[in-house]
Amino acid sequence: MNLSIFRPTSRHLTPSTFRTPTLLRQNARPTISKPTTTTPAPRAPFSATTFLQKRKTKNLTDPRITAIRYHLTHPLTPRPLRFSRTRYLRHWTIHRAWLLFLRKQRWTQERALERQYMSMRAACEALRLLDDKGNTVSEAEAGGFGADAGSLGARGREVGRLYRSAMSKKKVWGSVPVEYARAQVDFPSREGWNHAWMR
Amino acid sequence: MNAGQQTARRLAARAGRPVCRSCRSRNTYATAAAASAPVEAPIQQAHQAQHTPPVTVAAPSYAINAGVVLSRPPLITRDLHPLEAAFFLYQRRLNERLALPFARYFYFKKKTPADLEWKRKIKQRLTPARDIGRYEGYGEESWNDELLINAPESEIAWQVEQLLQDAEKTGAEGEGAGENSNVPSTETTEAGEKSSTATPVQQGSARKVEHEPIERPMPRITEADEKGDLKSLNRALQRTLYLLVKDREGRWMFPQDKIIGKENLHLAAERILVQSSGLNMNTWIVGNVPIGHHEHNFLPGAAKPVDSTDIGYKTFFMKARIMAGQANLTDNKLGLADFKWLSREEMEKVVEKKYWHSIKNMLAER
Repeated sequence: MNLSIFRPTSRHLTPSTFRTPTLLRQNARPTISKPTTTTPAPRAPFSATTFLQKRKTKNLTDPRITAIRYHLTHPLTPRPLRFSRTRYLRHWTIHRAWLLFLRKQRWTQERALERQYMSMRAACEALRLLDDKGNTVSEAEAGGFGADAGSLGARGREVGRLYRSAMSKKKVWGSVPVEYARAQVDFPSREGWNHAWMR
Repeated sequence: MNAGQQTARRLAARAGRPVCRSCRSRNTYATAAAASAPVEAPIQQAHQAQHTPPVTVAAPSYAINAGVVLSRPPLITRDLHPLEAAFFLYQRRLNERLALPFARYFYFKKKTPADLEWKRKIKQRLTPARDIGRYEGYGEESWNDELLINAPESEIAWQVEQLLQDAEKTGAEGEGAGENSNVPSTETTEAGEKSSTATPVQQGSARKVEHEPIERPMPRITEADEKGDLKSLNRALQRTLYLLVKDREGRWMFPQDKIIGKENLHLAAERILVQSSGLNMNTWIVGNVPIGHHEHNFLPGAAKPVDSTDIGYKTFFMKARIMAGQANLTDNKLGLADFKWLSREEMEKVVEKKYWHSIKNMLAER
């Protein structure tokens, strides 16, 4: 069985079992060297592993790493923010005013969303109770809503046809155009709006 | 849309309980037969047989319309509230007191031109931030981080100008505030004209310029804004603009038309867009669900088609977005005379009061 494909090529991953038998053999059976010949002890003729290079210079750290270390261990970390009494009171007032502003802003945004939601909801409710003639029918004649949107009421399919098609979620997420992903920026483009767009 | 409230009342109503009196009086003709509960049915039939005259005409009906709320989303960010602008600047200057010193050697190699330029600039403005004015968060004067009222640093335009100047300038001592901004353009023109007669003075002035000319951003108020061109889509860039059309009677409203046959609201909206304002608009109908509705009852003397039994119409509005192009009403099939792109506030002044009452809730705030 050929295991050479499993042998790792890097040194630090090489299991010592590949080398150990040779070394053991050398230790157990010392080579009989003639004193006249000064040939070194035979080493392994071939080694796939790389030798660690001896560092010839001292350990040079990247100056950027030094800069990061220096600034992370800066003696002023974290910097104290010292305020006088009146300055602190001013800061506190500004902070409270900001929180108040945020609260009002959020409230306004929520109300706006709620208005839009209720408008949609009222339109859907009107659609659900709408028959073919455009008249509003009673609850018993209309179909279901929500998870039950497909069910029909006493008057069957002639009530709420547009509602049932509006509740369909088919192709809702597949058709979002990529131009819709445009983000708002601080300054307008040089070209302006493309009025000359042709289909 | 998952309209899931008022469940208990609906369940009770569908279980066969009688309809309330106000509902019964509202649904006069079409629902009179089926609305009543079995218990009440004989009484109500007898009641109707006594008082209603024999029906000679067909039951009244409403035309069902689809309307398209075609909107152009805001293209630029909104103007900051004065409190927001002041607070952000306050926080940025306060941050200079809290932040660690700028790690110059992390960003610039020593003695490179970029490093030298940085040193020159920070000597002038004392802080790494380029748009908060001259202030140092370290040192004796670090407590003095608050700006005075009406300081130029609190203007957004001033901050933008500082960023631009920082990109243009090299921080050299001889550079003036005003003259350097137009040097790149003069250099390019002078290079062609006076290269033959180059004097040491001109060489010195050309050497100062090391940066490419920086493009100024476009103004947030466009030309169409100043002209008041209500048909342009290049105006009111901070606001959502809605397409309003003028119909035969001269009323301003969203484009609308009757639903034909078995088409649903989405398909009807697509058709109405093409039939009213042409093909040359890149639009997208957002969903299948209407975002609002409007009910209109004809006045007793109003002219209407002879064979029609309609006593009014009900319009269901679909949301649509425009990404490019412009409306074109020539040869439109809905008999429209004019169009405008209006923001929410401008629309309120143009449309009828009852119409506005129906549509105001579905429009976005901005």
